[in-house]
Amino acid sequence: MILLVAILSGLAAGLCLARLQKRPWTIPPLRKPWLVIIAFLPQFFYMYLPATRTRVPDNLAAAGLIISLVLLLIFCWFNLRLSGVWLLALGLAFNLLVIAANGGFMPISRQTASRLVPPETLATLGNGDRFGYKDILLLPEQTRLNWLSDHLLPPEGFPYQVAFSPGDMFIAAGAFWLMATQGKPMEAGKNKIAKDTG
Amino acid sequence: MKTQIAKLFLFTQKINSQHIQIAFALLALVLFVVCAGAPEDGGLLPH
Repeated sequence: MILLVAILSGLAAGLCLARLQKRPWTIPPLRKPWLVIIAFLPQFFYMYLPATRTRVPDNLAAAGLIISLVLLLIFCWFNLRLSGVWLLALGLAFNLLVIAANGGFMPISRQTASRLVPPETLATLGNGDRFGYKDILLLPEQTRLNWLSDHLLPPEGFPYQVAFSPGDMFIAAGAFWLMATQGKPMEAGKNKIAKDTG
Repeated sequence: MKTQIAKLFLFTQKINSQHIQIAFALLALVLFVVCAGAPEDGGLLPH
């Protein structure tokens, strides 16, 4: 949800910039976008599709998530020439590191999770249980690379409560930047403005 | 009915390969952030 907002706000910023610079907005020219579709498939079946996610053992789901993230890193490597992709790749690498270091799921502490679900729901879950789509409940002292885990939260009282990782922040920033600049280097954009204004 | 079919035919003629490429690239970007990110709002769990 927060990541989709980053894409939409980047798109809006890109459209405004294009209008200011009197040029059409074009989608960033991505190389090998089919890699993303392939990377999505394990997550779709193991994490999102209710009919299959309950039947898949946790270790297979964890392996699927890691394979999916590795495929996305390869996609980033093919598209590094586009501005913003390095930020996407950095965020992805952070998430992949912490997920791989903690058995294939994103760790979340009970304290952080308590802001997302009612206490009675949380009471039914034990340490090491899966939480939500990609997370696993772990004590902070059991978590490897805890600083990269889902430990960040919006201010208390904010209407939409979500736990996110530093990697998610980089991914959101990268998606915004990529959409706003259409993947073109910022310097090229500045030169274009300088040329237009004489 | 005939006019509706004719309108639909005209609309499909306006969709060219560039539109499909744009839609595919947008889909790829959306799927990328959905796959790469791991924010959790507890949405899957019963409240």
